[in-house]
Amino acid sequence: MTVIPSAAEWSGGRLLLVVVALWVSAICAHAAEALPPKPDRYFNDYAHVVSPNDALRLNERLAQFERETSNQFLVAIWQKFPSQSSLEDFTQRTFQSWTVGQKGRNNGVVLFVFVDDHKLRIQPGYGLEGALPDITCLDIIQNVIAPRFRERDYTAGLTNGIEAIVAATKGEYQGSGRTHAETGGATRHLPIGFIVFLVVVFLIIATNRSSRRRRGYWFNGMGGPYIGGWGGGGWLSSGSSGGGFSGFSGGGGFSGGGGASGSW
Amino acid sequence: MKKLGFGCGAILLVLVFVAVVAAIAGVRSYNGLVGLQQNVDAKWAQVQNVYQRRADLIPNLVQTVAGAANFEKSTLIAVTNARASVGRVQLDPSKAPTDAAQLEQFQAAQGQLSNALSRLLVVSERYPELRANQNFLGLQAQLEGTENRISVERGNFNEAVQSYNTAVRTFPTMLFARMMGFQTRPFFNAQPGAEKAPSVSFDFGNSPAATPAATP
Repeated sequence: MTVIPSAAEWSGGRLLLVVVALWVSAICAHAAEALPPKPDRYFNDYAHVVSPNDALRLNERLAQFERETSNQFLVAIWQKFPSQSSLEDFTQRTFQSWTVGQKGRNNGVVLFVFVDDHKLRIQPGYGLEGALPDITCLDIIQNVIAPRFRERDYTAGLTNGIEAIVAATKGEYQGSGRTHAETGGATRHLPIGFIVFLVVVFLIIATNRSSRRRRGYWFNGMGGPYIGGWGGGGWLSSGSSGGGFSGFSGGGGFSGGGGASGSW
Repeated sequence: MKKLGFGCGAILLVLVFVAVVAAIAGVRSYNGLVGLQQNVDAKWAQVQNVYQRRADLIPNLVQTVAGAANFEKSTLIAVTNARASVGRVQLDPSKAPTDAAQLEQFQAAQGQLSNALSRLLVVSERYPELRANQNFLGLQAQLEGTENRISVERGNFNEAVQSYNTAVRTFPTMLFARMMGFQTRPFFNAQPGAEKAPSVSFDFGNSPAATPAATP
């Protein structure tokens, strides 16, 4: 929501004060706790418990899974639990900031592993709660993953765990043959407001040209750098997947805190 | 004469301009508030959903636990009673409460049920028979998942209420909100003691004192 109508009634100084106050409060809200940044791939072994070849193989497996079913399935393995809060709270907020799963379908699922803490959690988005009820998550953790992890065979535990989750969720949705990153991610939600703005600017310029006033030049001057600024922001680059692995781009899914946690 | 007429026209023009700006601002504020209010109601429906999910698990849980040889009857009765009192403060699931006292009552009843349930789970640890019962373990997993969903949906609801209340209270929406009857909505308070991690005590003689006195 904009405050354009009110801005005219306000003195510049007061407006500036409000803007600064809003900005400071926004920073304070974000300073609460830094969440891990969005991952650039599906299989994220930050703890290096799996060989690079296996990591690449599993990453491609998960990318292929999104192509086939549109389900976004991520794995994130950390050495140590990085948060002060509870496991469930951390995984919920991380899931949300990564926006795993397609928008509307909410068909994301994340397998979180914390090696030193011997803890793991499977968290599905809203759309996969039916295919992965808490009890199934617990079953996969206790009977598929944990026994392998106890023998320190992380590769086997993760491979079998991934296959079990894939088997449980593959029938839910139909994929488009491409991942969200491959379809160009952000290009799909080009801001409508921005398009309207462009049309308005174009019309203003056109009418000013036709009325042959000098003011038309001023509007031209304003339009130029604004458009340039957007182009520089670059939504075109988001779909790239360099480095020989399939890149991940969050589709905009939500989670309601379902799933199960376990330890080994 | 001509000058006066021109002045009147200019004033009229300014007045019309101000009226149009005010009308646009009013419509925008109204639309924004309606959207935020609907978001609050939608999040409230989710909250009700997950609480209902928990309530639906209880009969099965009670039945399973009651099957265990000489299970503590008092814990079971506490759970059953708490669930019944939750049923008595049913609120409209499609519209978030506008009355803070109403929400507090709802929260108190649900909190009592949470306490009774967590006590039941703690007590169940002493029954190896239950620990080996697949049905019970499954119910426990579902119950834990539901508790987590409850805290997530309560958080989402509070966020929605917060952005709605902020809009109702801030300039310029504030001016129109008052005129059009939009009032701030109450939100969930943190449970007493929720800021501390729950400590699992095995000293059962003292545990009734540990539960906050929610009954009058």
